[in-house]
Amino acid sequence: MNYINKKNSTKHLIIVLYALAGVLLCFSILTFLYQYIAAVGSFRGVVSAFGNNRILTALWLSLTSAFIVAILSILLGVPLAYFFAMKDFPGKAIIETLAVDVPQTFPPIAEGMIFLLMFGKDSPLHINLAFTFTALVIAKLFICAPFVVSFTARRFREIKQSGINLTARSLGANPFQVFMTIFLPLGLKDIGAGVALCWSRAMGELGGSLLFAGVIIGKTEIIPTFIATQANTLTVEALAATILVTTASTIALISFKRLSNK
Amino acid sequence: MPGLSLQNIKSGYDDKLIVKNLSLDVEAKETLVLMGSSGSGKSTLLLTILGILKPSHGKIILNDKEITNLPIESRNIGYLPQDYGLFPHMSVIDNVSYGLRMRGIQKKEYESSAEEILELVELKGYGKRKPKELSGGERQRVGLARALAIKPDLFLLDEPLSNIDQATKMDVAKQMKELFRKLEIPIILVTHNHEDALFLAERLAIMIDGKIEQVGSVDEVLKNPKTKFIKRLLMPFAEG
Repeated sequence: MNYINKKNSTKHLIIVLYALAGVLLCFSILTFLYQYIAAVGSFRGVVSAFGNNRILTALWLSLTSAFIVAILSILLGVPLAYFFAMKDFPGKAIIETLAVDVPQTFPPIAEGMIFLLMFGKDSPLHINLAFTFTALVIAKLFICAPFVVSFTARRFREIKQSGINLTARSLGANPFQVFMTIFLPLGLKDIGAGVALCWSRAMGELGGSLLFAGVIIGKTEIIPTFIATQANTLTVEALAATILVTTASTIALISFKRLSNK
Repeated sequence: MPGLSLQNIKSGYDDKLIVKNLSLDVEAKETLVLMGSSGSGKSTLLLTILGILKPSHGKIILNDKEITNLPIESRNIGYLPQDYGLFPHMSVIDNVSYGLRMRGIQKKEYESSAEEILELVELKGYGKRKPKELSGGERQRVGLARALAIKPDLFLLDEPLSNIDQATKMDVAKQMKELFRKLEIPIILVTHNHEDALFLAERLAIMIDGKIEQVGSVDEVLKNPKTKFIKRLLMPFAEG
């Protein structure tokens, strides 16, 4: 009898667990889908907004700045990941936290403020980049590059731990050859995962760009800043822009996952 | 003198000394089996000879040339790690020819060399396969072929039979012994298994706590083990 009671209560607990999981799942998926549901009501307005010059320019600036950020993140992030994976030095944990973990959790608006102070009109370095396309790239790079570094460093550490890099050295490969023939090809999927996240994050980044690059139509206005300026009036254009940016990020992530599973 | 000479080697990790003032000579065409229990420092010594660990004291001389401070890639030492260390993203032929490619040898030449050595280890026709498509014994032979393709001056093997299943172990050991005979270079093979050691060794060195406790031919060491511990290591089922 006791056994049957215990079995029943376990069953109920599992149902509760699944119910809790279902709440979060529904919340996430419904939020994502609601933009499309909302668009059904004003379908014509949304479709015509896709052809709006201001939105198309903002989309172009979003795509190009995110693309440049992704390329820079590979060029700068992969070597940094290699350095963190291979070298041990005093204070490494703190430096790695500052370079990789902190930017991912940093309030973007505060980051924008710091960049304004560093590279604004009163820059102590006498470099004024504020309200330019370069400012857009810099603001996004700080937040997004760490995704590439963290994914890549984790994989490089696994490779190092396996010792095959040392076997490669024993066969006559110098450290650069080992990097090119062992670390890079074996780390490719993880670099790709980091880049996909980096690109998606760069597409959606708002705070840093808003403050440091501003919202200059045709020059620094990107989709997230366009949405932010339209948010109060909830225009169909804002809805169309939201659909554009989220769909682009989702397609990028799903394509990457499908590619990496092959 | 050609061969390997280790002179007063001290080596270890950070502040922990594992190899303690060890001296050992391996002749030019000799297979020396380095035997000892786990933690005796065998693998640490191998990594020190290979150049992965830097000795804090002593000299490593290979074929009359001091290599103590040479970078790993300049030592020309063949190395077979315990798990064979095959590159999972490369085909068998790319694994075997890796060392030759890193030396800038032309494609035609490295491919024919790799094919030749694959034939030597009886893996002809396996070139296009990936490591995951091979059995444990086949992987071991790819590892051997890859290490030998660079025509090394010294060959180091770390527990090469430990991942081979019992059913095929004897055949693999026989093939290895035959191969070693053809190589004519100094070979150091590390193992903790007394059967592997006694079968493969031309000379046996017993390592205990970072030092060579006894060295000699298999017969010598078997007949006159210096300590009870060595006797138990070599004949774990003998009485007394």
